[in-house]
Amino acid sequence: MDAITKRTEDAKSFSFKELGDALVEFFSSLKLAIFLMITLAILSTVGTVIQQGERPEVYIKEYGENVYWWFVKLGFVDIYHTWYFSTVLVLLCINSLTCFHQRFPAIWRSIRQDKVNVTAAFIQNLKRSATVDLPAERSKVAEALGVAFAERGYRVLVNKGGTETTLYATKGIMGRVSAHVAHLSVTVIVAGGLLGNILGFRDFGVCLEGETYHVPQGNFDLHVDKFWIDYYDNGAVKSYNSTLTVIENGEKQVTKTITVNDPLVHKGIWFYQSSYGDSWDRVEKARIVVRDKATDKVVGEAILDWRKEAELKNLGLKLQLTDFVADFGFDAKDRRVYSKTVEHENPAIKLAITESDRQLAAPWIFYNYPDLFEIQGSKYKFELTGYLTKKFTGLQIAKDPGVIIVWIGSTLLVVGVMLSALIFHRRVWAKVVSERHGVTVYLGGTAYKGQIDFDREFQRLSEQLKTLRQSTA
Amino acid sequence: MFRSLFLFDVTFWLYLAAVVLYFGYLVASKKALRPAYAGHPVSSEEDDGWAQPLGQLATWVTFFGLLVNGLALGMRAYERMQLSGTFAPWSNQFEAMSYVSFAIIAGYLFLELKYGIKAVGAFVVSVGFIAMGAASLLPYRYQVAEPLVPALNSYWIYIHVSITLTSYAAFAMAGGLGVMYLLKERAESRGRRGTIYDTFPSLEKIDELGYKSVMIGFPLLAFGVILGAMWANYAWGGYWSWDPKETWSLIVWLIYGAYIHARMNRGWEGHRAALYQVFGFGMVIFCFWGVNFLLSGLHAYA
Repeated sequence: MDAITKRTEDAKSFSFKELGDALVEFFSSLKLAIFLMITLAILSTVGTVIQQGERPEVYIKEYGENVYWWFVKLGFVDIYHTWYFSTVLVLLCINSLTCFHQRFPAIWRSIRQDKVNVTAAFIQNLKRSATVDLPAERSKVAEALGVAFAERGYRVLVNKGGTETTLYATKGIMGRVSAHVAHLSVTVIVAGGLLGNILGFRDFGVCLEGETYHVPQGNFDLHVDKFWIDYYDNGAVKSYNSTLTVIENGEKQVTKTITVNDPLVHKGIWFYQSSYGDSWDRVEKARIVVRDKATDKVVGEAILDWRKEAELKNLGLKLQLTDFVADFGFDAKDRRVYSKTVEHENPAIKLAITESDRQLAAPWIFYNYPDLFEIQGSKYKFELTGYLTKKFTGLQIAKDPGVIIVWIGSTLLVVGVMLSALIFHRRVWAKVVSERHGVTVYLGGTAYKGQIDFDREFQRLSEQLKTLRQSTA
Repeated sequence: MFRSLFLFDVTFWLYLAAVVLYFGYLVASKKALRPAYAGHPVSSEEDDGWAQPLGQLATWVTFFGLLVNGLALGMRAYERMQLSGTFAPWSNQFEAMSYVSFAIIAGYLFLELKYGIKAVGAFVVSVGFIAMGAASLLPYRYQVAEPLVPALNSYWIYIHVSITLTSYAAFAMAGGLGVMYLLKERAESRGRRGTIYDTFPSLEKIDELGYKSVMIGFPLLAFGVILGAMWANYAWGGYWSWDPKETWSLIVWLIYGAYIHARMNRGWEGHRAALYQVFGFGMVIFCFWGVNFLLSGLHAYA
């Protein structure tokens, strides 16, 4: 009874260990790494072929309603944020971490201690090997070999026996260490990205010169002092710039002129010069042409500044430009005028008219339809013949506390990949065996990567070994 | 503007001449190989015939082409400086292509100097020539140096773009070597002797050189993409926005990452690796050209 229980327990614990080993084996496997990288590449490709994060109409127009339904189901319209994309990323992290856990300790150990004593048969079985008989003294040959290795930057370990001396030479182990540094960096980068997603934010602000905006995330205010555009000689836009001032508790903190590649940073919040455009709810100036209703002749013209009264004395008129919409729309429910889009499709201004000291109605005047309404009680017709748009500055406002971690991970990645591509781990063994005629040298080596260069190096080493015949004899 | 365009033209013709000479070299060496016995090619000085001088000439013409290419880029940099105060001679598709061909040819000459194998020239210089040719086929408005749009007007353009393009050049070399491997392998499997393929280096060597090229391109691309992310963090308000171009660079990087890992297993040397190198280069071409012309995104400046 006891024996049986014991045996099953044994079997159980054994199988658990086996399962664990199998799992580690699976997660650290090269095959999984390759599979995950290719999967990630394919998923990313899908994301570039199908436009991401568009409005439904765009997809329906291009692919039809059925296909769009499938796109939504499969997450293709925002593939980089789907559960399966994240899963692949997480698996890639697990994969590289398990690989590190599985393989790094052995590499670390071999930096400190290595297999020096090997048999002649082991050396002859290596990918590159040579056997040379020399009529020379064992100690001299061993010394010459040691020098030859050291000259090439190898670290040499020697083991002297009764009739044989074994030399072990190695270099470039850092190449393998750095490959694992690169593996770790993947997780660091993903962690940084995740942190940024959780704690960071990204916003977009349409801001006007002279206005102050509250930034709730940083609990301070932002004043736009100035916005302007620089042009090249040929008229192309060279840069656009905004001068911003951070105001905290009523005090000016920083003033900086930002431009496309030069953001303002305050309290971890970044303000980017992202875009610019024409405002849809105000203009700088507007030009009004006044006609006499009876004769239809132009009797006056005025250039009106935004919300400033202008007087046309000879006509007894006072005009004020009070409102503007770029794409006239009327909300019947709220009885409110608004701009349907940000495009200047159907621009209109609201004009407050005072004629002979009598306040008339403030009509909407349309740029595209000059003769739409007749203004009651006025001798004149008013036409909007042009306006100067007010530019807005588009600011991207972002905070990403994960970014520093991403940079650390990126540095590790680049350094790791670079070193592991440049430094190849090489190991060479030489066994010098005393014989009657002198010595027999077994020389053999392997390279982890970079076979051609190692071939050449090994070739030179074995040639150098043969020349020892003359020099030491 | 016209000075640099003229120099780019001269580069094109020089590379064409170099390609012809390298192929001539191959054919001449094949003739030199013919009298050899029992499949042991012996190439002694007398047997060489035309091969030796042709090979020398090819190398010199290539070198001269590289000089003119460099000069053209320098001239373009000067013209840009005059025009807009930034000099990076890789600021549009045309200039980028010219720079890539410069990097390919420079890489090849380094290879020839180090390993002394001219036969590779016929393939790798061809890739460089095709890059230059494709550039000169671009419409004129793509070839001239327009002033930079605001987003590109930054010192990041010097380092991010040049490093990424250099990595493309390394992948191009790997692609050319892959084609070479496949051709030689096919000739060998059919047991054909006395063809130009005999002048190629051994399969093993081509394979290893291809791998080396990828090992140069891979870290450079990683560096280039990360520099791009840093730039984006300054210009676009975020280091990663899944813009098609950056996503495609990541895709290419992952593809070569898979290749490098696959090579850890013995089975992925030789034939498969060569095929994969060609495939990978196809992906690079798409990343470089296809994305600009087929997909829209933040990188669509050219």
